[in-house]
Formats: sequence, structure tokens, C-alpha cells
Amino acid sequence: MMREMFSLEFVHPSAFYLIGGLLIPLLKGRVRQGYMLLIALLAFFAVVNMPHGTFGVYEFLDWKLTFGNVDKLSKVFAYIFAIMGVIGVIYSIHVKNDGEQLAAFYYVGGSLGVTLAGDFLSLFLFWEMMAFSSVFLVWYRKSKSSVHAGFRYLLWHVAGGLILLAGIILQYSLSGDLTIQYSPFHGWWPADPQSLASFLILIGLIVNAAVPPFGAWLPDAYPAATVTGAVFMSAFTTKTAVYALIRICAGSEILIVLGVVMAIYGVVYAVLENDARRLLAYHIISQVGYMVAGVGLGTHMAINGVVAHAFCHILYKSLLFMGTGSVLYMTGTAKLTELGGLYKTMPRTMIYTVIGGLSISAFPLFSGFVSKSMTVTAFGEAHLTWAFMALMLASAGTFLHTGLKVPYFIWFGKDQGIKAKEPPWNMELAMIISSLFCIGLGVFYKPLYALLPYSVHFEPYTAYHTWETLQILLFTQLGFFLLLKKLWCKNTISLDTDWFPRKSAKAFMWFINKPMASLEYNVIGEIYEFIIQKPIMRVAVYLKKIDTVVVDGTINGVGKLAMACSRKMQKVQSGQIQHYAMLMVAGVIAVIIIVMVLP
Amino acid sequence: MKLLEIVEVLRTKKVRRIAYGVLILLIITDFFIPRHEVHFFGDEIPGFWSLFGFIACVLIIVVSKWIGHLGLMQHENYYDEGDV
Repeated sequence: MMREMFSLEFVHPSAFYLIGGLLIPLLKGRVRQGYMLLIALLAFFAVVNMPHGTFGVYEFLDWKLTFGNVDKLSKVFAYIFAIMGVIGVIYSIHVKNDGEQLAAFYYVGGSLGVTLAGDFLSLFLFWEMMAFSSVFLVWYRKSKSSVHAGFRYLLWHVAGGLILLAGIILQYSLSGDLTIQYSPFHGWWPADPQSLASFLILIGLIVNAAVPPFGAWLPDAYPAATVTGAVFMSAFTTKTAVYALIRICAGSEILIVLGVVMAIYGVVYAVLENDARRLLAYHIISQVGYMVAGVGLGTHMAINGVVAHAFCHILYKSLLFMGTGSVLYMTGTAKLTELGGLYKTMPRTMIYTVIGGLSISAFPLFSGFVSKSMTVTAFGEAHLTWAFMALMLASAGTFLHTGLKVPYFIWFGKDQGIKAKEPPWNMELAMIISSLFCIGLGVFYKPLYALLPYSVHFEPYTAYHTWETLQILLFTQLGFFLLLKKLWCKNTISLDTDWFPRKSAKAFMWFINKPMASLEYNVIGEIYEFIIQKPIMRVAVYLKKIDTVVVDGTINGVGKLAMACSRKMQKVQSGQIQHYAMLMVAGVIAVIIIVMVLP
Repeated sequence: MKLLEIVEVLRTKKVRRIAYGVLILLIITDFFIPRHEVHFFGDEIPGFWSLFGFIACVLIIVVSKWIGHLGLMQHENYYDEGDV
């Protein structure tokens, strides 16, 4: 059944961000702030009002595009993305840079678009929109290193996007249908075309989920992003990928192993990390590891756990990024070696950050407790004891870093006597809202459970489970204070898997600049001149005689026209990749808007 | 400011002693907590998760630092790009 994109019962929530966002540069001051908040709220209410069903179906060439596929799974993700949109807009409402605001709006819009996409092509369009808009949240930091980090971020995502596209094309050639279908990948290596298609799609998706060895872009780019940009980024890219993994790849066993490795890998790197925001970035990898592993297990309980965990994770992780972002905003640094003693000047920010830390650590009465435990228990019930124990180990590590290390070294530790104040009202308001969500979900978890895709048969607050968690966490705390001396950071970075592309890129450039260039100049150049250039010159002299007499007159007129055109075009060709990226995004947006608006 | 006073109180030695008391109490009470869902042997041993938490914490710190010193940790200007 074909229904409209904008009917009374269904309005695509992305439309508010994508079309409404375009007016932001025209507005100023309070009006602009109110307008941005209004858009985010309207998108949220659009999500609340979405009935289940299929909407926004368009025939485009031979393909059927579906922009509004609403079921329990897509709706719960749309809910949290829309809520995060509101919180993110409040946190960043003071940012005057139009480009940065637009980038964030298109990023959120893209994420909602992926969530509601019913076919692979529209999923891919919004997927790419997310990559190309979010990179501007890195670039607008405007430091040399963030420009570089942004390029690397884009390269990873373009590569992942192309692999995804290859999988989609192969899938389409096999089934002749673009509808998103459940196609898990079984085993370790693709054996036939169908499993190759599933494999390529899986790889494309896990690049965005930051699964090692394809996840190095995350701790590279997020700490390089703007204060507000990182808050958005912490919420959307990986969790959109988790959503797509649930929809397409649930039950792919390889994800169990990758997810568990990921959960521990993030924790190990977090020990070594000095930049608070990069430490948190590694903990995104660790937390998404729980989700990826749960998707791999694929039981109803595991999927419920993953969805609940993604929901809670977006709130507490953004809260943590807001807290450390506020510290960066007010003091100019997020490095633990340069911070300390801030509890005297920024105590309220400390409280919000600690609430985020307790939530991510799954402390009883905080949001992580009701969500993480469901995923982990699913592993216990499946009798995958090794995975169960590894995830428990990672939980201890989570508390160790986000609950203890980050707050301790920023707000206590060595008092650096930094003069700072609490952040502006809007940043604090966003943190208060997130904090309330974190505690609220931990206490009143039933409404969240009601949103989950399958019916829930799980009670988080049993005596044993509460005691188990308290023991792990409080004894981790004991270990933390006993080993505190070992945890003082040094001014270092840690090499990640992006060492390979970064170093080989340097080697490649050396190869091009030195041996290749001299080969080209000395050898090939000589041969070329002797064999090709000289004979051609002789012919050319002969042809020239004909040319001057006959052809010139006609050509001159055409030439002048071409020159005039190219002078106009020159302005577009600035040679800056940022400008090209902007043009491409504009093109994609134009296509989407045309498709949305045309009947 | 009131918030600051509360934080200062939490940093005193007395609070630390109370915290140690809580840890001991946690292990003792674990002997009396009913077990409904036993997934593996550790679930039946009282105080198992206390030991697990402590060892996990120590392991994570020691092993990670060891891996870091194998060569993962490098100076900030390793890729020579300047400041973040």
C-alpha cells in the first residue's frame, strides 16, 4: 500500500531537521535558538505520533524506495535519537556557527532517516549523509590536527560505505529487491554469493559500529571534534550502526567474538589514555561491544538487552561527553595531566558527570543497571560462560575509568589551581535533563521495557543480581584506590589499528615522491620524447598548415564561449576537499528533497 | 557553598573507614542472599564477585600498562601533527 510522506498520521521526523534546518542561517539571537529547539521538539512529537506501518513509499526508476518503515524496533531507536536531538540542541544552542549547527541537524536527520529506511538505497543515502555531515563537526574545531583527523574519519567512512554499497548491489543482483531484509552472516568466511553479500553488508555496518580493527576512526576523531559536536557524535553513528546490525545481521555468530573483544579492547586502551574525551571514546567502543555481542547472540532477551542498552547508553554517554566537554570549554583542556582540583570551582558539572559515570558502570538505581544486565544475563542463560565472564570483567573496567579515573583526575587528583566556572545555563540544563533520564530510567524502567521489540521476562532488581553488581563495583573501587599510583597519566597517545594505514600512507607518499617521480622524469620521460613526441611533432607541423587556413575561424567563436564558462566554473573548483564534500552533500540533500516533495 | 562542604566531608578519613565497613558487610550479607538463577559455579560461592571485582580491577590495570609499555604508548607528537 502506498502512503504519503506527509500525511496526517505520518510526518517523517527527518524532514524537520533536513528542511527546517535550512532556515537557521537566516535567523539570529533568541529567535534562532527558539526555532532550533522548536524543530527538535517537533521531530520528537513526529516520532511519538508515528503509527506502525509502511509510509513514504516512492517509485524511483525501477526501484521502490521506502522512507518510513515503522515497527517496534525502528520506533524505539527513533525515540532515543529524537530525544538526543532535543538534548543536543539545548547543549549546543549557544553555538553561533551556522555551518556547525547545520551539520549537527543533518547528522541527526540522517540518523533518523537510516532508522526509518525500509530499503537499502534510502538507508545508504542517509548513511552517507551522516558521514558527510558529521565530519564537519570535527572540522569546525578548526585546529590543524582536527582537520587531519576529519580527513581520516571521512576516509574510513567512505571506505566502509563503499563496502556496504558493494554488499547492497550484490544483494540486489541476487534477490532483485531493494527491501531491507534479514540476512545474517554465518561462519567465518563467505562461501557463496549470498553469504558474500551478507558478509560485505556486515563489514560495511561494523565499520560504523567501530568494531576493531575498523574502529580506530572513533577515538581519533571524537576528541578532535568541537565541544558540542562530540556530544552529537557520541550518540548517533555507532548506535545507528547497532540498529542496522539488529535489523539485518542479528544472530551472526562472528559478532559475539568481535563484540566481546571490543568490550575488553576499549577498556585496555582507556587505562593508557590521558585525554578525557578520548578515554570516553574508547569506552564507547567498549559499550558498543556489549551491543555487538548481544546482536551476535540474537536471542529475544539479548536483542531486548541491546536495544535497552543502546537507549540508556546514548543518554549517559552524551552526559559524560557533555561533562568533559564543559570542562574543555571552560578550562581549554581535557587532558587529565593538566586538570585536577576542579571540585572547588565546577562541583555541579562533577555531579552530572559522576551520574553519567555511575550509569555507564551499571550501578543499581542508575540506567545502565537495567539495560546492561539484560544483555549480560542473556549470555549467562545461553551458557556462553567465557563471554559472560569477559563482559563482567569489562564492567569492572568501565567503572574503573569512567566512574573513578575521569572524575578523580579532573575534579580531585593534583590541584592545578585552574580558575574555572560552571558552564553556561544551556549546557547545564542539557546535563540536568540527561542526569534525570539516567536516574529515572534506573528507577522506573518499566516504560523503557515496554518499548522494547520483544516482550520482556527479566527483572533487574533481584537481591542476588543487585548484590553481585555491588560487589564487583565496590571492590573495583577498592582496587582503584590501592593502585592509584599506577593510574597517574602520562602525556602520551596510544597507537591503534590506524597506525597501519597512517604509516603506509606515509610510505606510499615517499614512494611516489622519490623513486616513482625520478623514474618518471628520467626514464619514462626520455622514452616518451624519443618514440612518441618527435614523430607526432612532424605530423603536427603538416596538420597545422591545414588548420590555420580552414578550421580556425569556426573554432575561435566556440573557444571564447568555453573560456567564459570555465571562468565561472573555476570558482566552484577551489581545490579544498571540504568544499567538494559540501557540494556533494548539497547534491544528496537536493535529491532527497526532490524525492520527498515530488508526488 | 553547601555542595562544596558535602564533598569535603566525603573526603575525610572517617568516611573511608565507613567504606571499608561497607565492603566487609557486603561479603558477609552475600552468605544469606538467595540464588535464583545459577549460570555457573561462581554464582554459588559467597563473596565470589567481590574477589572477581578486585582481581579484575588489578588485572586490567597491570596488563594494560604492560601492553602499553610494549610500544603502544608513544609521545604525543608521534604522528608529528601538533596539538589537539
